[in-house]
Amino acid sequence: MIGDLDRACRRVLLANWRQRSTVPAARLYPHQWSWDSAFIAVGLRHLSPVRAQRELESLFGAQWDDGRVPHIVFDVHVAADAYFPGPSFWRSAAVPGAPGVPTSGIVQPPAHALAAWLTYRADPAAARARGFLDRIYPRLVAWHDYLTTRRDLTGSGLMSIVHPWESGMDNSPAWDEPLARVTPVPTTEFTRRDLAHGTSAERPTDADYGRYVRLARDYRDAGYADARRADGFAVEDPLCNALLVTGEHALASIAAELGRDPRPHLAAADRLTDALVATLYDPAAGIFFPRDALTGSLVRSWSVGGLLPLAVPGLPVAAELVKTALSDRFRLREACPVPSYDLTAADHDAARYWRGPGWVNTSWLLWYGLGLHGETSLADDLRHRLLERVRTAGFREYLDPLTGAGHGTDDFSWTAALTLDLIRSA
Amino acid sequence: MIKISCQEQLLPGRTLQEKWEFARHAGYDAIELRGRADFAFRDRLPELRAAARDGVPMPSVCVDMLHFLGAFDADLRRDAVEQLKSQLSVIAEIGGPGAVACTPASYGMFSRRLPPFEPPRGEDEDRAVLLDGLTELGEHAAREGATLVLEPLNRYEDHMVNRLEQAVELVDAVGLPSVRVLADTYHMNIEEDEPTTALVKAAAHLGHVQVSDSNRFQPGAGHIDWAALLGALDAIGYDGHLALECRLRGEPAAAVAAVPGFLRRHDLSVRG
Repeated sequence: MIGDLDRACRRVLLANWRQRSTVPAARLYPHQWSWDSAFIAVGLRHLSPVRAQRELESLFGAQWDDGRVPHIVFDVHVAADAYFPGPSFWRSAAVPGAPGVPTSGIVQPPAHALAAWLTYRADPAAARARGFLDRIYPRLVAWHDYLTTRRDLTGSGLMSIVHPWESGMDNSPAWDEPLARVTPVPTTEFTRRDLAHGTSAERPTDADYGRYVRLARDYRDAGYADARRADGFAVEDPLCNALLVTGEHALASIAAELGRDPRPHLAAADRLTDALVATLYDPAAGIFFPRDALTGSLVRSWSVGGLLPLAVPGLPVAAELVKTALSDRFRLREACPVPSYDLTAADHDAARYWRGPGWVNTSWLLWYGLGLHGETSLADDLRHRLLERVRTAGFREYLDPLTGAGHGTDDFSWTAALTLDLIRSA
Repeated sequence: MIKISCQEQLLPGRTLQEKWEFARHAGYDAIELRGRADFAFRDRLPELRAAARDGVPMPSVCVDMLHFLGAFDADLRRDAVEQLKSQLSVIAEIGGPGAVACTPASYGMFSRRLPPFEPPRGEDEDRAVLLDGLTELGEHAAREGATLVLEPLNRYEDHMVNRLEQAVELVDAVGLPSVRVLADTYHMNIEEDEPTTALVKAAAHLGHVQVSDSNRFQPGAGHIDWAALLGALDAIGYDGHLALECRLRGEPAAAVAAVPGFLRRHDLSVRG
């Protein structure tokens, strides 16, 4: 019964709620994560619209003065060594303009404006009574301003990420090439916490982890100043930029609701869409590729992020993306959740973090995009198969797209939240 | 679909039949009775039987006395247990299967937050007294086919059982399925870190729920997040009544009549 799955989703969201925000998973991720909170709010709005509003408000309450929304807001009541890198690594308190609570200094994909708009629509009266949009709108605008100005490292108009963790698809093969330039920090200089909760065969390698630490440390030591560094990492990522465009459309709707002018947001959305297609779309391949901001060349790695500009309203190449999703590389009709990486690639690994398995959030975005572009039967089919997968495997962090076997942590909040949203969207 | 009952004293009407007529039209599913001291509840049996014959659903009784099973005084304690046993028998007869009688450990007897701060009896003795009373009542409830529910009260009204986890611990120790926990949203708002988390943890022992808002007025008058609370009750599979026990803000009849609509508006559970 769908009601049983619905209740199970809500039990996960209730168990992972920490009075003002939701932890992605009780043991592995015991703090607040930025894009997790956005996806969680999308589902939480069906349990409690007010709680979904608070989820986003608590995240944006930790926004930096420069507009960035940190990828982690730390819970000071959780043991300092529960997660690495923790507050003593990021040292946000030493940065002028950082908030009073400890946070990381990098960001995650900007799914928040869309989440805020969907949250508002769940109960406009409750949102108006709490002044939700009035308070969140200027913060969302500042967030997008940060990404489109300080993070435009090439002048293309697109935002760059400066760390693989900022992509949300932390260990994607797409980052192998630009990451290869980075000298790893020796493993003797840090202690990973992620391996205590999962098998190492499913997590990033030590060498890659050493590179992640190097990049984060260098960024921190530069005071989190945004600039291209020859020995660094800078990539224009299709998923982040697609969410930025989707977010500008959501901001236009929010602005209109508040009686403000939506046109600047629609103009920004148009500009970003043009730049996204002109810079990252490969017509011969029928997919968007990331671009290395240091070399200027496309990273021809077929990841699900390259399909997700489908979530952009009015995208001119939507039909081509659907065709690619249906191809052997992603097998949209059978593979579920949508594989994070090319099924035909020699290095596809159906169990390793972002190198093959499917996530519910990227699948949800693809489902959302399919609906947006009139592909309702493909959207419905994907929705049904996602619900079946979760019903069988439980609320796992990620799944083998062909067998449905669950991987990573259990009772993962966005898996539950987005499953709830898919149920309620019937 | 949530089921909502209303305590009898909140309903307009001279008789239970008249009260039920009002309640039913307002969207209530049942009436929660109040059981006074000196076997007054038992003495109402003719009235209650007549109402039951006329189809008034009365699945629960809330004790309405000034001494309880956790009283410091042994005679008062004895009397409280006898009163509750009688109330269990009566509600089992007129309430039907799943009938519930409610009691706190004590009310208004002692608060650790008010002078003289230290109660005359130690925690171990408190616990022994409560376990004795609950066990005797639980055995009686099992014989009668009813359930006794223990209600945590806030720190100003009782010094022994303030949070659901404390009631769960006692109920666990008693070990009878006829003794369960009552969750009251007003007391939870004061005592629990997060009411929905407390409900999830107490799910296996939850036997009854009473509703009022953060300020003890009717739901909607305060700041409880009803969507989250009702969503949590549904998610843990609670299928008993939500009994309205509160003070009324505004014109009383209108205030009572508005509650079912308000609660159902905030019940965002799926059907099925």
